[in-house]
Amino acid sequence: MGAHHFHAHDHRPGWLHRGPAGLKLGVAVGLILFVVLLPRTRTGGLLAVTILLLGVVVAGRISGRFLVRRLLVLEPFVLGVTVLALLQPGGLLVFGALLWKTNLCLFTTVLLSVTTPFTDLLRVLSKLPVPWIFVTTLTLMHRYLFVLADESERMRRARASRTLVRGRRFEWKLLSTVLGQLFVRASERAERIYRAMCARGWK
Amino acid sequence: MNALEITQLKYRYRDGTEALRGISFRVLPGECVALLGPNGSGKSTLLLHLNGLLPEKKSEAGAVKIFGEAVSSANLELVRRQVGLVFQDPDDQLFCPTVAEDVAFGPQQLGLSETETVARVKHCLAQVGLSGFEGRSTQHLSHGEKRRACLAGVLACDPRILVLDEPTSDLDPRGRREFKAMLRRLPATKIIATHDLELAVELCARTIVLDHGEIIADGRTGELLSDEKLMLAHGLERPHILHHLHPH
Repeated sequence: MGAHHFHAHDHRPGWLHRGPAGLKLGVAVGLILFVVLLPRTRTGGLLAVTILLLGVVVAGRISGRFLVRRLLVLEPFVLGVTVLALLQPGGLLVFGALLWKTNLCLFTTVLLSVTTPFTDLLRVLSKLPVPWIFVTTLTLMHRYLFVLADESERMRRARASRTLVRGRRFEWKLLSTVLGQLFVRASERAERIYRAMCARGWK
Repeated sequence: MNALEITQLKYRYRDGTEALRGISFRVLPGECVALLGPNGSGKSTLLLHLNGLLPEKKSEAGAVKIFGEAVSSANLELVRRQVGLVFQDPDDQLFCPTVAEDVAFGPQQLGLSETETVARVKHCLAQVGLSGFEGRSTQHLSHGEKRRACLAGVLACDPRILVLDEPTSDLDPRGRREFKAMLRRLPATKIIATHDLELAVELCARTIVLDHGEIIADGRTGELLSDEKLMLAHGLERPHILHHLHPH
């Protein structure tokens, strides 16, 4: 996975992409809150949100396949949580409603992320009364996610170039070594970034 | 008054490695000094002391003086206003999403107004040849552009002493040439840790050779770098450019 993976935006900017980031963020948060607070028996409301979101996708000419692909990446986590609902009596209905609601929230988030650059969202957050430490953490995370992704890709390539004998057990062992190494490198880099920030007057 | 005065500076890392073993030297305002030495000789550790980033506990305050003022935990802000440090890896230094935001980081920390900050960002980007790069993402710059953006970020704090750690490493020949020309134009006192011996010859009248945390030699760049025996003994070599300047 290289840095380009994180840049997966829909490269056909339409009216939705050009809209103000603050408005899009506000509408997305509103929709998510509405879905979360809606009782699971009120399927009409969930259906309305589903139609609204699909309408936005069609009107905004956003690639449905692209959105679904991104949603599928998150699906194991959704299933991991919602499957627990099956353990209670009448769990199938709860499971269904929970799956629907969670996917609507995630779909809204994915839609926001593919139509709004993350830097624009950060700019909106910094103007709102959001704790600065939260915005700074998000900013640094966004900046260094790419650097770390590139670093892990370089390590993967270096490992692959010297892997002559393949075996699943061996691969897993190597992966754990690489992850450990990446963690050490990330913390060392964090230390250097902190120094660079202090050098320019960070308080 | 000396721009920089270091007296018997010692530093030991937590793992016990003795990085600096009693370093002493002075730098006059306007001087350009090259800091040479093999990997692990203590160059980067020394540079971190100049900005007050080391030692973590300022128990050895007094070893480093910037324009007569001893670096201590009480005057770190003043020290960091005076000393601009350009780090070796540009990715460590460019921590903001866009070039303009990154260059504005220092002025904002100094408490400059919005108008002053914008003007300073524009001026510093022009100084390093990055006009028009304000909105560009820092992660999508070329290595040479990243280096320039780093320098702009430091220049935006208007330092009197510029400290650079391996400023030309990983640059292509044209990038190196342009970066050197840019450095030459800057009037600040400069201390440059480098393995680029040609840079030392072209920019720095004075050179300090460091090895195993000690100063091995301190003198005129041309003379020191012509001393083949000294160079080879400390992981360096006589730069090619000197063969052209003083052919045997």
